[in-house]
Amino acid sequence: MNLTTALADLTAFVLLVTITAYSVAGGVDYGAGIWDILAGGGAQANRARALIDHAMAPVWEANNVWLVLAIVVCWTGFPLLFQSVFASLYPLFAFALLGLILRGAFFAFRHVEEGPGPQRRTGVVFGISSLLAPFFFAAALGAIASGRVAVGGPNVSIWQACISPMSISFGLVSLAATAFIGASFLVGDARRQGMPDMVNYFRRRAVVATVALIVMGSIALATIGFENPHLLAAMFTGLGAPFAIATMVLTPVVGFLHLRGIFHWFRLLSAGVVGSLVFAWGLAQSPYLLPGQLTIAQAGAPLGTEVLLLVVTLFVVVVILPSLGLLVYFDQRGVLESPEA
Amino acid sequence: MHLATLVAAESALLPSRIQMAFTLAYHIILVPLGVAFPTYTLLMNGIGILKKDPAAIRIARRWSVVMAVQFAVGAVTGTILSFEFGILWPKLMGRYGAALGLGFAIEGLAFFLEAIFIGVYLYGWTRLRPRTHFLLGMVLPPAGVLGTVSVLAANAFMNTPGGVTLGSSGQLVSVDVLGALFTRALGYEFWHFLIATYITAGFIVASIYAVAWLRGRRDHYQRLAFAVPFTIAALLTPVELVVGDLSARALVLDQPAKFAAMEVTWKTRSHNPEVIGGLLNSSGQVNFGISIPSFDSILIGTSPNTVAPGLTSVAAGARPTIAEANITHLAFDAMVGLGTAGVALMVWYFVVLLYRRRLPQSRWFYRAAALAGIGSYAAVESGWVTTEVGRQPWIVYNVMRVSDAVTSAPGAFVWSMLSVLIVVYATIAVIAVTLLLKLAGRWRREDAIEAPTAPEEGVPYGPRSESPKARQVRSS
Repeated sequence: MNLTTALADLTAFVLLVTITAYSVAGGVDYGAGIWDILAGGGAQANRARALIDHAMAPVWEANNVWLVLAIVVCWTGFPLLFQSVFASLYPLFAFALLGLILRGAFFAFRHVEEGPGPQRRTGVVFGISSLLAPFFFAAALGAIASGRVAVGGPNVSIWQACISPMSISFGLVSLAATAFIGASFLVGDARRQGMPDMVNYFRRRAVVATVALIVMGSIALATIGFENPHLLAAMFTGLGAPFAIATMVLTPVVGFLHLRGIFHWFRLLSAGVVGSLVFAWGLAQSPYLLPGQLTIAQAGAPLGTEVLLLVVTLFVVVVILPSLGLLVYFDQRGVLESPEA
Repeated sequence: MHLATLVAAESALLPSRIQMAFTLAYHIILVPLGVAFPTYTLLMNGIGILKKDPAAIRIARRWSVVMAVQFAVGAVTGTILSFEFGILWPKLMGRYGAALGLGFAIEGLAFFLEAIFIGVYLYGWTRLRPRTHFLLGMVLPPAGVLGTVSVLAANAFMNTPGGVTLGSSGQLVSVDVLGALFTRALGYEFWHFLIATYITAGFIVASIYAVAWLRGRRDHYQRLAFAVPFTIAALLTPVELVVGDLSARALVLDQPAKFAAMEVTWKTRSHNPEVIGGLLNSSGQVNFGISIPSFDSILIGTSPNTVAPGLTSVAAGARPTIAEANITHLAFDAMVGLGTAGVALMVWYFVVLLYRRRLPQSRWFYRAAALAGIGSYAAVESGWVTTEVGRQPWIVYNVMRVSDAVTSAPGAFVWSMLSVLIVVYATIAVIAVTLLLKLAGRWRREDAIEAPTAPEEGVPYGPRSESPKARQVRSS
């Protein structure tokens, strides 16, 4: 293995970690939006909505950055992958983007509107947009994993590339997973805010989401077996196996913790579920970026570019992560909490 | 059926170009505030700490809220742009991503730093010690500069590609990172744009207080908030004119067709006139406009004998069309005209300041200052049109055509996406402006009752503004 391919492997790993970071951090965020749309009306719903709003504000900007980072690492480190994926799946990305942009706009809009009535109306748009991004981004990953994206464009029609059992099932798993991690983190937020009724409210929802995730996950495994049996085999024999098993074990564990109201480790474990899910897929696919079509080594950028991406990664580790840590530290210590006027 | 087939088969080139132009023109409005506004805010914050001036602190605090609102919008429109590279121009990134992406990869880091520290700064006013808070904010100006230099490195690569070895079919064989990042155009593009962001942010902020002055609000708070950004922006206007002139002259060698389009020069010649306004027609004559004999040649090389490149020195298929040349030319003229007006305003301001030892009192001065903000934006947009339209038909100069980079998606798809984006972007603009007007109204009411210590709330960005319980109490 020469230096260029080693660095290409490292870049692929960085890309996977970035996608994972977005899935976890963004998942918490989008999940909160899903519970917003499902909250309905009434006093309890207003309390839930206020908690969601409060919990989301600190994170939604920083989450966006993980997505941008994933995009730039992809087009710089694996230009051919980037071209092939977008040339094949642009409709999926267009819908995901629509969700992204509406969400940003309507989150802001809520703060302009006053009172629960208009907040609920804008909340509907906000909630729908929260469904679009996680579904369509994950659908794109499903389409890639199904092997329908070939170098330079799809090896089937655009619509067949975008709409397949795997793309739909990945999208549904993503919705269930975001609802799951969102509810789980909201339990933690409700506890920190000292809102016991909301703790129970979101605990019940976390249990429901656990069941939904197990059901959707099983369906997704079936579609993988149907469309890309090689990938299914790799998920349980290769590097991805520990993560596939971790997801399958941890998901019911988190559900059990919420069912019994045991408030230990549930947030970390929920993040572990979503992170393992992404890793199980990513590592099972390796060394292929496009299953059966394009390997990491084939798609890797020239050496100079890989070296720069290594420097960028080091910068993230040495400067960005401590800065993020500082933000989280301040936030947790209440330094950033402005008192009521 | 024939119509449907026609629409489906139509190339996505035109809508893709319109969409890219629209989303970039929109995003670039937010850039000067993102890059330069934090510096003005911190300067005001520093003045407040050093002079123990509560008005300066109050100004800085309010500016930080505005900064956060525009950063939130910019973050969304910036994310859209990065996806458009894939949706609209997949072949550009597929072929040159390993070089063109370098700048964007670094920009991602700058964006991250900005997102984190804007949050810390915005929500740190109350609980952090003033000095700590100020120092944490000091991450923002260098992060803005890093973001600017890296995005312009990518743009400079499109204008003067370098640092790459291309194979027989144009594919990237190897990349020299420093060579690809620091291409010829970066030096002038970077300084020209960085200074533009500081001028634009300074003038647009000052213009708000110029309007307040015209409406009779002229206390210490208003004067300070006007004078600090206005003075810096005004001082930079002559610098920008010089840097702009150097940039234009560098184009004679780097991108002769662009330079010829800017000056609507048809045939390469000495004693070339400088044409102000005017339109090139298809036979190479310029109609209308004011022509200053030999002045273009003098500007390029100080002598009327200097040879200016003409459009016809480049093959017809490799240079801007007549329409593109005219757009480039008019945009260039608009930019230079607005820049010159900025210098005139600077002279007016400093003459009064130095001879009268006070801010100008003339209503006409404040009317002009109120227009300087919008004028700077018009100049930024014109400059961007000049460099982008002037590069046509190339997406990477002399290496890849725009038409070779465009998506193979049906035109109808891109037209639909464009329509949706226009509606959504318009909605965002309405929301952002409504939010800012609400904030301004609240601040005026606060000042009227002289109880300006309440923390800012209702910001759609960053860490929480109030506890949900408190919100609950308020809304029920």
